[in-house]
Amino acid sequence: MSLQYLKEAVSSGDTERLIRYVRLHFGDGNEDAGKKEIDKAWIEALKLLLDVPATNREFVERTINETDAETLAHLYFRLHFYFVGRSGEWIHDGRV
Amino acid sequence: MRPGLWGVVNERYPGSMITKTDFVPLAKLKKPLSESRLTFVSTSGVQPKGTLPFDTVHPIGDYTFRRVPSDSKLSDLEIHQLKYPTAGAEKDLNVIFPVKRLQELTKEKVLGGLARNFFSFIGYNMDAERLEKTLAEDIADAVEAEKPDVCLLAPA
Repeated sequence: MSLQYLKEAVSSGDTERLIRYVRLHFGDGNEDAGKKEIDKAWIEALKLLLDVPATNREFVERTINETDAETLAHLYFRLHFYFVGRSGEWIHDGRV
Repeated sequence: MRPGLWGVVNERYPGSMITKTDFVPLAKLKKPLSESRLTFVSTSGVQPKGTLPFDTVHPIGDYTFRRVPSDSKLSDLEIHQLKYPTAGAEKDLNVIFPVKRLQELTKEKVLGGLARNFFSFIGYNMDAERLEKTLAEDIADAVEAEKPDVCLLAPA
């Protein structure tokens, strides 16, 4: 999808078009695969917290409070692939 | 090309089709290849180890390129790219980034020589205007600075 296509979707509030793009990105062009990938990343993150391990809350809060939203958005996409990688099931043909 | 390929692309990535009418004509070779210095521009996402990995996670793409020294050994290089199958290239990088083959062709005097650097970027870029006016221009300037006689262009 071109950037113009996505910007038009933002302007018209066409959220389905936007989420479809995200799914295609995560699913290497396969929307259903992308949905599963999103679920997989969240499940992996949840599993890590089930035993309530010690985590660096200061880092989390400092990062959220002191970092611009654009960088956090970039990090959000990066974290998706990080957790997908941790899951041990890598559907992509290449690597980040 | 596989029949119906563009239809599939447009269905999966609506809005991605770009129409161009102002093509730049290819330059004619001014001297034989055996006397020409060659550089190489690739969309393979190949880069020297230790350089910042291409940003394969960004939803809109990465508009940077990497210089790859033309005297690199295969072991000096790695691929950061999500959008094409890299299994074959991981076994032998020459299938997408033929650095060793080009070095051999130079030794065999098929080519006059290699420019100091080759150039690499990733092809997953959704902002066609930025791709053309920033990345392509930056690479063109960098290629020009190397003063090659010929440039090999290869998608991955």
